[in-house]
Amino acid sequence: MSKRIIQTQELTKRYRGGLLAVDRVSFYVTEGEIFGLLGPNGAGKSTTIHMLITLLKPTAGRAEVCGYDVSKSPDAVRRCIGYVSQDIAVDESLTGRENLELQGRFYHLPKDVLESRTAELLEMLELTERANDLVSTYSGGMRKRLDITEGLIHRPRILFLDEPTLGLDIQTRRRIWDYIEDLRSKHGITVFLTTHYMEEADHLCDRVAIIDEGRIVALGSPAELKAQIGGDLVRLKLGGRDGLPEEELRRELSSLAPVERVVADGAETYTLVVRDGERALPGIFSRLIDLGVSIESVNMKRPTLDDVFLHYTGKELRDKEGSGAYYRASAAIRRARR
Amino acid sequence: MFTNTFFVDTWWVCWRELKHLLGQKMRLFMTLFQPFIWLTLMGNLFERVAMIPGFPAAKYLDYMTPGIVVMVTLFAGMFGGMSIVWDRRLGFFQKMLAAPISRAAVVAGKMLAIGIQTAFQSLVILGIAWGMGVSFAAGPLGILPLAGLAFLLSMAFAGLSLSLGAVLTSHEALIAVVNFLTMPLVFTSNAMMPLDLMPDWLAGLATWNPLSYAINPMRGLFLTGWAWNELLNGALVLALVALVTGSVATALIRRSLA
Ligand SMILES: Nc1ncnc2c1ncn2[C@@H]1O[C@H](COP(=O)(O)OP(=O)(O)OP(=O)(O)O)[C@@H](O)[C@H]1O
Ligand SMILES: [Mg+2]
Repeated sequence: MSKRIIQTQELTKRYRGGLLAVDRVSFYVTEGEIFGLLGPNGAGKSTTIHMLITLLKPTAGRAEVCGYDVSKSPDAVRRCIGYVSQDIAVDESLTGRENLELQGRFYHLPKDVLESRTAELLEMLELTERANDLVSTYSGGMRKRLDITEGLIHRPRILFLDEPTLGLDIQTRRRIWDYIEDLRSKHGITVFLTTHYMEEADHLCDRVAIIDEGRIVALGSPAELKAQIGGDLVRLKLGGRDGLPEEELRRELSSLAPVERVVADGAETYTLVVRDGERALPGIFSRLIDLGVSIESVNMKRPTLDDVFLHYTGKELRDKEGSGAYYRASAAIRRARR
Repeated sequence: MFTNTFFVDTWWVCWRELKHLLGQKMRLFMTLFQPFIWLTLMGNLFERVAMIPGFPAAKYLDYMTPGIVVMVTLFAGMFGGMSIVWDRRLGFFQKMLAAPISRAAVVAGKMLAIGIQTAFQSLVILGIAWGMGVSFAAGPLGILPLAGLAFLLSMAFAGLSLSLGAVLTSHEALIAVVNFLTMPLVFTSNAMMPLDLMPDWLAGLATWNPLSYAINPMRGLFLTGWAWNELLNGALVLALVALVTGSVATALIRRSLA
């Protein structure tokens, strides 16, 4: 089980225009794992996948997939992997069955194997009745499931999924999650996926690498990554400070035993990183009341991978219209500090 | 480069393209209807050209029909690169290339599909022209070399178009370049006018134009009958051009992945 089925060393891609899309990325994936690459748009996720599946040549560094070097034995790598691109790359002018069969032809399956696999996969997709309809009559979710299933026709050891649930509604997304989990538990397939949905990485992945601007900034299981935040996140909005200077307030809050960090979010709003938040809240409240500070609202949550991302990059994972400039500025400040 | 699965891979890439063609009833109809319109319009428009002294055919339509076969073939070939631009946009291209099929087979399959399409089109044109009273000196068996030349010529230009499609990422750009190239290719050939009636510099260009290697033997089939030398010579040159353009397309696709 502990075999490393993917391994990269300082993998780097600089595009012809000069843009450094992936910057000295090193990680490994063990056989049977669901491994996720989580990052915002343009982080370099697809570029990384393209190098691993031999669609792009690395500029520097090495990558081994199924024990083969991607640059030296691309054909051996291709036979060992399945790839489902970010676009829903099914052929609309063919039927579902024809799409599956054509994919099998591209992997040189003998006719009898092809027929039994196609039947089996159509069954698994619950698409048997619609198999002979043109894909142009399928719903978006059906197409995506067909697309993912095509990647399985030759029983690959690793399935690469580039943003498998991009743009799908939540029910369809959950069905695809269940489906991916099934693939692993029933067939022992290793899954390498990219996503910019933190819920997806959290729900599905055994381990997650967080990537930003071509660099891996954190890597570990979702639980480990969240634990690195150091506690729950308590967000306080204050009504008034009764003349207490901000510096003083922060020192007071920081001195409380369960409080790990205090971050001022502007406009009388503070985010505290607090160990065991539920038990710590009453103590924080009474201290604030003693200081004569009034509290307008409180919100407490467990950290998510979003917060992990924010913690390491100073940016929100989701692009928020308008706030981009602020986060870019704070990220630049953080980088300058390091 | 040529793995032992090359021919099988080529066939399945081609199969998909043919499925697309047959699935689009309108496109299928237009590929058959367009030559009919051209024959009718040009036959009438240029009717009196045949009266020019030194014109090699009695009726302009006899002269023009092979020209139309070549033009239809050229157009079909020149738009062959569109499928690669579409496939790239849809992600199907990446999907094919992530599979263990040779890059050369992707190109060859697309070229082959266009070759098959235009071979059939050339026969349809012949049928329509025959219905309009055009004579075909080579007799019934002459349809084989006619279809064969159309097949090779469209593959040669499909290779060129696929090369462009491998480099240009938008179909607007591809259409613009194809439009820019197509008409000059027609007018610098003897598709519509005999060399003798052209200005010298144009006639000089025309002898280098690959189109001429299809038109001359085809015209022979219509006007005079079988001329083996010319047929084989034309077929050989066109096959070579197809091989070269196809290889260039394959190389450019490989490069685009670097
Ligand atoms: N062919 C290319 N030529 C030049 N630059 C490219 C090319 N493809 C991607 N890039 C750039 O490389 C960077 C990383 O792109 P990539 O597609 O890997 O990001 P991503 O993480 O997959 O993003 P998304 O979530 O939007 O799919 C981006 O800045 C992108 O603009
Ligand atoms: Mg991407």
